[in-house]
Amino acid sequence: MGLSGLDIYKLLPKTNCRECGYSNCLAFALAIAKKAVSIDKCPHISKDVKQKLLEAVLPAMKLIEIGINDRKSLTGQETVLFRHEEKFHNPCLLGYILDDNLNEEEFDKRLLDISNIKFERVGEIIKLDLIALRNKSNNSEKFKNCIKKIALLSNLNIVIITDNLQILKESIDIIKSNNALIYFTKDLTDTNVLDLLKKYNPPIVISADRLEEFDNIIPKLIDIGLNNLVLETKSKNVQNKLWDLTQIRRLALKKKNRAFGFPQLVTVKKDDDFSGVMQAATFITKYANVILLENFGLEDIFALLTLRQNIYSDPQKPLQVEPKAYAIGQVTDNSPVLVTTNFSLTYYTVLSEVEASKIPSYIAAINTEGMSVLTAWAAEKFTPESITKGINDYAIKDKVKHNKIIIPGYVANMNKHLEDLSKTKVIVGPKEASGIPSLLKSLYK
Amino acid sequence: MIERIKVTFLGYNKEIYIEKGKSIMSAALSCGIHLNSVCAGEGICGKCKIKLRRGEVDIQNSDAISTQDLKYGFSLACLTYPRTNVVVEIPKSSRIEPVLRQEIYSKAKTIKQVDFKSQKCDFSYLPVVKKIYLELPKPSLIDNINDLDRVLRELSKYVDINNIKISLNNSRNLSNVLRKSDWKITLTIGEYNETYEILNIEQADTSSSNFGFAFDIGTTTISGELIDLKTQKVLGAKLTYNKQASFGADVITRIVHAKNAQGLERLHKAVIEGINEIIENLISEFNIDINDVTCLTCAGNTTMIHLLMRIDPSFIRREPYIPAITFLSAIKAHEIGIQISTHGLLYIIAGISSYLGGDITSGILASGIYKEQNPCLLIDIGTNGEIILGNKEFLIGCAASAGPAFEGSGVTSGMKATRGAIEKVKIDKNLNITLQTIDNVKPIGICGSGYINLIAEMLKAKILDKNGKISIVKNKRVKKTKVGLEFKIEKNIVITEADIDNIKRSKAAIYAAIITLLEHMQLNFDSIDKIFIAGGFGNYIDIEQAITIGLLPDIDRNKFIFIGNSSLNGAKQAILSNTAFKKTREIAKQATYFELSTDSKYMNEYTAALFFPHTDKKRFQTINI
Amino acid sequence: MIFETIIGSIKVGGESVLPFLIQEGKVPNKPVIAFEVWDMPPYDFPQSLSEPFGNALNNPLDWALKCVNDYGAKLLCIKLQSINPDTLDKNSKEAVKFINNLIKAVDVPLIIQGSGNKEKDNLVLPEIASIAKGKKYLIGSATQDNYKILAKTCIDNNHSIIAESPIDINIAKQLNILLSDAGVEPSRIVINPTVGSLGYGLEYAYSIMERARLAALAGDTMLAQSFICFAGQEAWRAKEAKAKMSEMPAWGDEKKRGLLWEIITAISFLQSGADILVMRHPKAIKAVENYLNDLLP
Repeated sequence: MGLSGLDIYKLLPKTNCRECGYSNCLAFALAIAKKAVSIDKCPHISKDVKQKLLEAVLPAMKLIEIGINDRKSLTGQETVLFRHEEKFHNPCLLGYILDDNLNEEEFDKRLLDISNIKFERVGEIIKLDLIALRNKSNNSEKFKNCIKKIALLSNLNIVIITDNLQILKESIDIIKSNNALIYFTKDLTDTNVLDLLKKYNPPIVISADRLEEFDNIIPKLIDIGLNNLVLETKSKNVQNKLWDLTQIRRLALKKKNRAFGFPQLVTVKKDDDFSGVMQAATFITKYANVILLENFGLEDIFALLTLRQNIYSDPQKPLQVEPKAYAIGQVTDNSPVLVTTNFSLTYYTVLSEVEASKIPSYIAAINTEGMSVLTAWAAEKFTPESITKGINDYAIKDKVKHNKIIIPGYVANMNKHLEDLSKTKVIVGPKEASGIPSLLKSLYK
Repeated sequence: MIERIKVTFLGYNKEIYIEKGKSIMSAALSCGIHLNSVCAGEGICGKCKIKLRRGEVDIQNSDAISTQDLKYGFSLACLTYPRTNVVVEIPKSSRIEPVLRQEIYSKAKTIKQVDFKSQKCDFSYLPVVKKIYLELPKPSLIDNINDLDRVLRELSKYVDINNIKISLNNSRNLSNVLRKSDWKITLTIGEYNETYEILNIEQADTSSSNFGFAFDIGTTTISGELIDLKTQKVLGAKLTYNKQASFGADVITRIVHAKNAQGLERLHKAVIEGINEIIENLISEFNIDINDVTCLTCAGNTTMIHLLMRIDPSFIRREPYIPAITFLSAIKAHEIGIQISTHGLLYIIAGISSYLGGDITSGILASGIYKEQNPCLLIDIGTNGEIILGNKEFLIGCAASAGPAFEGSGVTSGMKATRGAIEKVKIDKNLNITLQTIDNVKPIGICGSGYINLIAEMLKAKILDKNGKISIVKNKRVKKTKVGLEFKIEKNIVITEADIDNIKRSKAAIYAAIITLLEHMQLNFDSIDKIFIAGGFGNYIDIEQAITIGLLPDIDRNKFIFIGNSSLNGAKQAILSNTAFKKTREIAKQATYFELSTDSKYMNEYTAALFFPHTDKKRFQTINI
Repeated sequence: MIFETIIGSIKVGGESVLPFLIQEGKVPNKPVIAFEVWDMPPYDFPQSLSEPFGNALNNPLDWALKCVNDYGAKLLCIKLQSINPDTLDKNSKEAVKFINNLIKAVDVPLIIQGSGNKEKDNLVLPEIASIAKGKKYLIGSATQDNYKILAKTCIDNNHSIIAESPIDINIAKQLNILLSDAGVEPSRIVINPTVGSLGYGLEYAYSIMERARLAALAGDTMLAQSFICFAGQEAWRAKEAKAKMSEMPAWGDEKKRGLLWEIITAISFLQSGADILVMRHPKAIKAVENYLNDLLP
C-alpha cells in the first residue's frame, strides 16, 4: 500500500545532507511519495528501508512497451480511475487493423495512408500509434513480408493478429526484433504456444470470457516468466464491455489485484452507422489502453484522436493555446485587439465574451506558459516585454491600423511602461472577462 | 537651465524645489512625505489624492478620480505636475501616518493566551550583545602581560576568547581607557557565528545600560520594541506603517518597483526611515542614550529583508523563486543607516525561502511549535498568510497571498487595529447595530477583527447571502452604487460588496492554504493538537466569528491559541538569548517550503472556500447561517 | 443518489450509479435528448446543419414542428435568442406570444433558456414562466450573481430551474446552496456545468461532472442534481464542425465531421454523467439515441 510522505520521512536517515538535491529529508520524502524522484538518490538509506520503500511505490498497473528504440509505444501504469484524481498517464494507443491478404499495391497504399494520418492540435501532432497486421493469408512468407514492410515504411508500431501457431512460430524472430504486440486469437495457454513465447517474454494479449479466468491464468503466466500482458475480455456488446473494462481497472487499482494489473485491449469494427465510432469513444473515456480499429474513416480517426488528446491531457497542468493572434469573426483593420495569456481557460473565457459581444476582434494570446493573468504577472511572464514581443511577433501592427491594444484590468499598472515599449496606445480593460462586451461596445459603436 | 519650482506642503512645514516636469508625488517623496499608493504612482489606484491650494498645475487624465473631485480641486499626486510654485494640502485619506501605541497588548478575548514569560525559560538569558564589567588586576613587573591579553584573561571567564577580535580603533584606545578607569571597564561584546568582537570599551561599570530593539518588518506595518537587555524587560513598543506602501501594497509590486532607477534605494530608505522613527521615538520617551543601544534583531519576510539590506530582490519573483539570501551574519547597523550606537549590531532572523521569511522562523520559535509532540499549526495572518505545520519531528510551511484586508487595508472603511477602530459588532433581529471600538471612542473605521465580526453578524442576520452579496434591498442602510451595493454601518463608515469580496478572497486563501498543506502531508484536523494564531489582528480575534466566516476551521475551540505578533516575540527572544537566535537558524534549515501555486489542489480548495462559511457544509457543522 | 427531476411528462435523473453501470445499481431513467430550437432564424448554422430543417428554420414554429413531427423529438429546448438586445431585442410580449403558440402547436415538454442577457432575461422569463404555470418546464439560467428572480418565478409557477456555473464544481455547488436557501427544492434544480466541445476544453467539464457525480453518490445532496449539457451548440461552434473540405482538405468531409463532432461531444458527456443533452442535428440525435438504447437496454 502507498506510504504517505510523512511515513517515508520517518524511515529516512534525517541527515538533511541535501545530497539528493532536495533542501532537506522531508522535501525528499514528499517527492518520493509523489513518485517524482527515485529512492536511489539517497546515499544514506539502509537496504531494508530501501526494499520497503520500493515495494510501497510499485505501480499497480504494469507498463507495457510495444516497438523498439525511441519510437516505442508505452501503455499502462495508470494510477487512477478518474483523471481529476491525478491524471491518465499513457494515452490509450490507437491501432488500425490491416489484413495481410490484400494485394501488394493495395496493402502499400493503405499502409502509407494509415501511417500518414496526422493532425496538429494545440501545438501537438496527434496520430495513430499502431498498425495491427491481421494474418488472413495463412502464408507465413507473406505475413513476414508485411511485417517487414511496416517496419520499413511506417513509423507506427506493430500488433500481429493470428490464430495460426505455425505462422507465429515461423515469424517469431521478426516479431521479436520489432517487439510487436502478439495477439494470438486461439488458446494462448496451449503449452506449445507458451513454450514458444516464454523464451522471449514479448508483449502478448491474453483473452478470457470471464474475469475469474484471468485470476486463474495470469499468475501461471507470470510464474513462467510471461509478464508483458495486455488483457482482453471477450464480451460482445458495448454495455458489457464497459462493465468489464471498469471492473478490471478497479480490481487493479483499488483492490491491488496483481492478476489484473495490466493494460486492456479492445477491438472495434465500424459498420455503416456511427455505432463503432461511438463505442471507440466510450472506450477512450473508460479504461481501454489499446484500441484496434477496423474500417474507420479519416474523420472518425480525427474525432477519436482529438477526444484522446482531451481525456489524456494532464488536468494538473494548465492547458495552453498556441500563442498567436486569433481572429474572431470577420475582422478588419479597425477591429479591437485584446491581449491576454495563453492559459486555455483564460483564453476561452475571453473568447466566449468576445463572441458574445458580436464585435469582430483579435485576441492576442501571449506566451505565458499557460499561466493565468495574475499568476503570469507575478511570475514575470506577462510583462510589458513579453506583451511587446507578442505584439511584434504576431504582426499586430500590420493587422490593424488603430495601434491600440486592450489589456486585462488586473495588470493596469504596467500601462505606461507597456505604451513606451510597444509604441501602442494601451486601453485598460475590465478585471473580469464578463466586462469585455460592454467595453467593446462602448469603444466600437 | 532647468526651471525649478517650489512645492509647499501645508501642515507639514515642508517645501521643496523640484524640476519642472516632476510630479507632486515625487516632490512629496523627496521631502520625506509618504503618500498612499497601491499602484506605485501609476495613476491607477486613486489613493494619492491631494488638494491644490495655490498655483497652477497640469493634470494628466485618469479614470481613478471622479470629475467631481477634480472640480473641487482634488487631483492625484502622481499625475499632477506643477507649472508654477504651488501650495498643496494632503487630505488625511492620502497619508501614511505613523500609528503610535503605548504597548503591545495581547488581550485575546474568548481564547487562551500564551504565557510569554514561561516560554522564555526555554532559552537561557544571554543577550546577543552583552556588556561585561571587568575589574582587572593592575599590571606589575611580575604580572606583566600586555593590556589586551590582560583584558582577555579576565574575559575568558565569560566567553570563549579563542575566537575573539577587536578593531584597530578599540585597540588604540585600550591602554588609555584602562588606566583612566583604574582598570575597571565594561566591554561590549557582540557575537557573529561563534566568533566574538569587542565592540566597545567603556570606563567603569555601565553594564546596566544595555538596550536593544526587536523589530518585525511587515509589508504593511513595522513594529518595534525597546528592550532593556539587563533586566529583560520590554520598556515600550511602537508601530508604524511601512512607508514602502508608497511604492505598492504588496511585495510583488515592490519588487517590480525595485527595478526602476533609484527604486531599490527608495524602498531601502523607506524601511530604514520607519525603523529609525520608532527607535528615535522610544529612546527619547525613555530617556535612553543612543550609545547604549547596542543591537537590534529584525524579523521580516524575505523581500523585506532584501530591501532592508538593499539587496536586489528581483529573483524572488521569477520562477523558480530564488532569493539572494535568507540569512546574513550580524552587520554594523549604522552601515545601512540605522541609528543606534555606531558600534551596534543588526541581527537578521534567518528565513526559510522566498515566501517563508524570518518573520515565520521567528514565529515558529515564539509559538514553540518546533518542540510539540503532536502536529500543530501556526497561522500567521498578514499581507501574506503563512501556514506552518509541524512538531518536533518536522516543519513544513506555505504562503498564501491573502492581501492586506485583515490588516484593514484595501477595504473602503478599513483601518489598523488602533484607537477608534470598530473591533466588535452585534446585529440584532431588527437589524439594529451595536458597535464596540478600540478605547471606546467614536468609530472612525473598521479593523480586521471588526470586519470578521461584521461579516459574521451580517450573515447571521441574513443581510448577506452565502456568496457575500447583500440580499436585502429595501433598507435605509443599503445603497446602490455603480459597482454594486453598499451597507452603511455609521456615518462615513460603510461596507461594500467589493469589500466583502475582498475579505472573502483573503479568508479563502488562508483557509485553502491550511487544507492544502494538511492534505499534502496526508493529515487532517483530528491529528492536529493546537492551532497558534499570529499576526495581523492587533490584539483581538473572535475565534467563533472567524469560524463563522470560514477563515478558521470548525474544530474544538480549545485548540486555538492566540499568540499576537509572534514575529516580534521571536525577535525579542532572539535578542535576549543567543541560544534562541541560534535556534532560529536551525529551524530555518530544517523547515521545508511547500509551493502552493504549483499544487493543483490549492486552486480548487480556494474556490471552494470562496463562500460563507464554505462550499462544503460538512466542514462547518457547528455553524448555522 | 441523484434527484429525479420532472420536466412535463418526462423524468430525468434518479440514478444511483456512475453512468451506465447498471450492474451495480439502478438507472431508472434514460438520459434524454432535447432538440435545440431558437425563437428566431439561426445565424451561425453551417449548411450541413441547416440542411435537415430546410425552410423551416425561417419560422421558429415550423422548426419546432419539424423536430417533433419529422424527427420524433420528445423534448424541445427553446432558446430565446431574439430577446437579446444584441440580436432582435424583442420584448416580452412577443416572446410570450411565441411560447403560447408553441404550447398550442406541440405536445412535448419544453426547456426554456433565456438569452444570456441578465436584465432582459429577468424581465421576460417571469412572464413566460407564468403563462406556462404548472407545466413543470425547465427554465434557465440562474447564475451565482443572478438567481433570485428566476428562483422565485420558478417556485411560484412550479417549474424546475437550470443552475449554470462556469466550469467550476465549487460554484455549481454554491449556486445550488444559494437556490436552496432561496426556497428551491433540490429536486427542481438541474446543473448546467457549461461544457466545451470536443477539442475545445471538453475535458474540463468532463472531469467536473465526474467529480460532482462521485460526490453526489457519496451523499452530497448539493451536487446530486441532473446535468444538462449543451453539446450541440458547443460542437457546432468548433471549426472542425464547420470548416468546409475545400478549406481544410486534410480534415476530410465536413458533413461527416460536423456530425461526428456533435456525436462524440455528446457521448463524452453521457460518460461523465449527462442526464439531458441539448443537441442540434437530427442524425446526430438519432445516433446518440441508438447508443443509449445499447447501453441501457
